[in-house]
Amino acid sequence: MSLDLGFWTLQALNALQLSMLLFLLSIGLTVIFGLMHFVNLAHGALYALGAYFAASVAAVGGYWAGFFLAPVAVAGVGVLLYSGLIQRMRKSGPMAQVLVTFGLIFALLDITRIVWGDLALGLEVPTLLAGRVALLGVEYPVYRLFIIALGQAIFAALAFVLSRTQIGAMIRAGVDNDAMAACLGINVERLFFIVFCVGCALAGLAGAVAAPLLSVTPDMGLQILIPTLIVIVIGGLGSLKGAIAGSLIFGFVQTFGAVLAPQLASVLIYALLAAVLVIRPVGLFPAKE
Amino acid sequence: MFRHTPLRYAALVLLASAALFQAFTAEYFGLEILTEILILAMLVIALDMVAGFGGMVSLCHGALLGVGAYGYAILSTKVGLTPLMAMGGAVAVTGGIAWVIGAICARSHGIYFIMATLAFGQMGYSYVFEAPLFGGDDGLGGIARLDLTLIGLDLNDGRSFALFCLGVLAAIYGAAVLILRSGLGRSLSGVMHNEQRMRALGLTVWRVKADVFGLSGLISGLAGVMAAQHVMFVSPGLLSWTVSGEALVVVILGGLGTLVGPLLGAAVFVLLKHEVGALTSYWHLVVGVILIAVVMSRANGIFGWIEARFGARIERRAADAVRDIDPREVKTDA
Repeated sequence: MSLDLGFWTLQALNALQLSMLLFLLSIGLTVIFGLMHFVNLAHGALYALGAYFAASVAAVGGYWAGFFLAPVAVAGVGVLLYSGLIQRMRKSGPMAQVLVTFGLIFALLDITRIVWGDLALGLEVPTLLAGRVALLGVEYPVYRLFIIALGQAIFAALAFVLSRTQIGAMIRAGVDNDAMAACLGINVERLFFIVFCVGCALAGLAGAVAAPLLSVTPDMGLQILIPTLIVIVIGGLGSLKGAIAGSLIFGFVQTFGAVLAPQLASVLIYALLAAVLVIRPVGLFPAKE
Repeated sequence: MFRHTPLRYAALVLLASAALFQAFTAEYFGLEILTEILILAMLVIALDMVAGFGGMVSLCHGALLGVGAYGYAILSTKVGLTPLMAMGGAVAVTGGIAWVIGAICARSHGIYFIMATLAFGQMGYSYVFEAPLFGGDDGLGGIARLDLTLIGLDLNDGRSFALFCLGVLAAIYGAAVLILRSGLGRSLSGVMHNEQRMRALGLTVWRVKADVFGLSGLISGLAGVMAAQHVMFVSPGLLSWTVSGEALVVVILGGLGTLVGPLLGAAVFVLLKHEVGALTSYWHLVVGVILIAVVMSRANGIFGWIEARFGARIERRAADAVRDIDPREVKTDA
């Protein structure tokens, strides 16, 4: 193993790409939790749905049609879930919510199997983003750079919305103290609905983006769920800063762990999570202490 | 605190006689299903102890089961201990690990407790999956069952093994009831209802949580040993978080904090899995929909629903009977 500059660049880019994918998933989950204390374990299943929608649409209308339609379609599923289940579960405890969304994982897993079958689907990288580009002495796939850029763009957009716009201020107020926000005339329920739909759309987007990198299988949602939960617990629930910090920590620990200490790699991230929970039981950057 | 109501006694008697009937009449396949139910029932009793009576919703009990199973496999095949000693060793190791996990997680609550236990469970899963000692992805085979020929039981026979599991389950149930009724169990209930008040009363809260978690770990470890002896093979899949998730589903389906309910839940879950699994390969969909329906109905699982529907009537009748006999005694008692 040659530990030169090219090696570090390559691994850093890989880590960044994984981090950005996780960020897209975790930001929706963390804000939904922060705003409404709602634990949505089915978030990973929505990501898998996004990948399936993207793959099906792309087979007909090309990659970009899938890329833009998958988030919309998953947000539509989110609307159905919200009005059918989640609205009614709002007043129950976290335990009931965990279980209902756990049941949803089971149901959605089999629904994707019924609709799309057990075989893995593939999705081609679009011609615009195909190929490799030389960067700091390494050849790196353009598509992965695109994911990094997309993640950063979404982060910037969300940071702007949350810190500079009125709806962002309302969301922050709701996360901080939802009862008080409601007293000030903010419709917290509607706010939650909007945040929930945006979170679902971002999960769908993450699925569409990940589809060409990984093969699209029914259990891809289950596989991503645990990393996403680790990200939001390390980062602290409810905050944008926590989501991005958690994603970067996970991405870098996982990637560099795998190449530098392969025997420890898989245990490392869980040990880190346990350490964070022992030292700071509410995560690194929680929305409220 | 845990109490046996007449309804609970009735359910226990019914479940035990159904299990005995099945053990003596069933053929090979029926015995396999019965053993699967009995082993799952051991695990869910362990989980109900911490989740239903201590508010500690654990997602690492699957991993604890796996530790027990692997511990038995390693101690009996690689270290060369006799099956009985390997059993004791595996159970003790699992209990110790569970105690440490409980002690570390005792400060966390709610979703953080769930995540912390999940982290420990996944840590064990990843470690077992990768370490060459444990056979990695391939698992370990060639595990012997306990030799009970001294008392005339050949456990390699499916019927004897099912009966043996039933005996172990009965012992575990009795132990769980004793633990929950002891001072430790009462302290645990107090901690679940109001942790601060218990601390103000001078209780070392984390010790109580860790002790009960450790005892629950002993039971999970024993369930793991029985699982390893049943299949005579262990694989990393035993430690997966979905096993813990399924155990939690069984506890909820049956009735959290009733101890009898999870037994019923285990039977329903395994039967459902096999019956629906025989009809369609999409049995997860059925289980998922049932789970959503049970939780949304706001009943405390199947047994909780039965208790709410019939238990109140039975107890009222019992109370009426007492009052008819001697009204003054009831008054002074209250």
